Amino acid sequence: MSSTLGTPSTQAPRPAAPRAAGDGRAPHPRRWRWVAHAGALLFAVLLLYPFSGVWAPVGAWQWSGTAGAASRASILVSLELTALAMLLVVAVGTPVALYIRRTGRAARTWWEAALLASILVPSLALGILLSLAFRPEGALGGWLAQLGLVSTNSAAAFVLTQVYVSIGYYVLGALVALGAIPAGLEQHAALLGLGPVRVFWRVTLPLARFGLAAALSLAWVRAIGEFGAVVVTAYYPAGMPVQLWIHLESAGLGAVMPLLVAFMAAALPLPLLLHLLAHRRRHA
Amino acid sequence: MLEVRLSQPRRGFRVEVEFTLEEGGALALFGPSGAGKSTVLACIAGFQQPDAGVIRLGGRQFFPPPLPLHRRGVGMLTQEPALFPHCTVEENVAFGLPRPYSSESRAWLARLREQMHLGDCWHAPATRISAGQARRVALARMLAPRPALVLLDEPFGGLDRGLVRGLLEDFLTWRRELGFTLIAVDHQAEVLEQLCPRVLAMAAGRVVAAGSWAELRQRAPQAMAALLAPL
Repeated sequence: MSSTLGTPSTQAPRPAAPRAAGDGRAPHPRRWRWVAHAGALLFAVLLLYPFSGVWAPVGAWQWSGTAGAASRASILVSLELTALAMLLVVAVGTPVALYIRRTGRAARTWWEAALLASILVPSLALGILLSLAFRPEGALGGWLAQLGLVSTNSAAAFVLTQVYVSIGYYVLGALVALGAIPAGLEQHAALLGLGPVRVFWRVTLPLARFGLAAALSLAWVRAIGEFGAVVVTAYYPAGMPVQLWIHLESAGLGAVMPLLVAFMAAALPLPLLLHLLAHRRRHA
Repeated sequence: MLEVRLSQPRRGFRVEVEFTLEEGGALALFGPSGAGKSTVLACIAGFQQPDAGVIRLGGRQFFPPPLPLHRRGVGMLTQEPALFPHCTVEENVAFGLPRPYSSESRAWLARLREQMHLGDCWHAPATRISAGQARRVALARMLAPRPALVLLDEPFGGLDRGLVRGLLEDFLTWRRELGFTLIAVDHQAEVLEQLCPRVLAMAAGRVVAAGSWAELRQRAPQAMAALLAPL
């Protein structure tokens, strides 16, 4: 039996068709093409223009002294505690997404509404609500305090707030990723003798990995950049967003700028890398 | 012995079917589109749970309570090959083997590869093979764990006659060797006749005739006779 792999085409070359756009749509008419290009370029320049603020004349950058030490400490706080929050988000959010995916349409609508509510509530309001709901005098806050998990101005409060602000993004993204798995593949894997856990590791996860990673990167950006809720629940230990605000208030732009660059370096590469990986996979 | 008695609602009617099939036997489910044939297969495979009834294969009770799919020992082939796109052809075929790297498994896989003519594409990604090859890979993958019961849900649909003939020959060869019990659904009576000597004719969820193909041709209702007529 002959293989189709690498079979050279025996057909005569066809006349070149007009080049299609990336998604297969017809390109703009030639006379308007330069206008479209110029407009798109202008948009891109304006979109990225705020990054030019890095070169603004703000005086000497302060990376030493008290302000520098506080900046370095805030970077460690943000990276360590956000990483811990993301572990919790994945550990809790993935099974929840798997569960929601198998519920009926009505139940799923309710779940999505609940997740959207957690996303849509304004950050500052969420911070105040979290502080009140987890107050030490309350049932849950008191129980957490007995376990040594102080629910305000502590690492636990920081992580808890980050989980709350980001888990909705992760679960909704995970639902999209899981929904993109071709129908029936997991059932066929189960019929071949694989139990649910092995089906997850061998079929679900490999097929949804880029979507899950994209959801995680979104959650990461949301959590590490959170200010409004964190400033209420966990002013201490100060993460990067809170420390930036403190610098703005007390130390000036010279102290802000190096931390700002570090902040962007911590937040941007992961989602950008995952976006590029997913893009390559789509076009592989 | 496969014992099936099930009741399952479908849009507009209820599928109510009862039949038994001896171990190693073969039975065709035949009838017009929407008769409920695939629903019967889906209930036996475990993709759907019937409202009521009993499904039993030998000593294993499939329903009730519903037995998890991975414990049924059922192989299923559908019109969609449903290959795992992140795996190579070899990985697809070996997917259901508990110890794919054992010497016994390697020898078995090598036999499947040779007899199913998959040598050319064995290491290729499953997404880069032809439609005909994909059906062969799906067949090899289903056969690899040596299922006790095989369900065919129009696996030859959309293929040209040459490919169907080749696949049928391969399938019958493997059936003689492995001796699995078979239930097949297809719209083409000539395909089913080669696979199964017995047929259950269904319409609107009910069994309207049962027996051999010759008996069905003699006793078939008017609507069924049109389906049995050659093109």
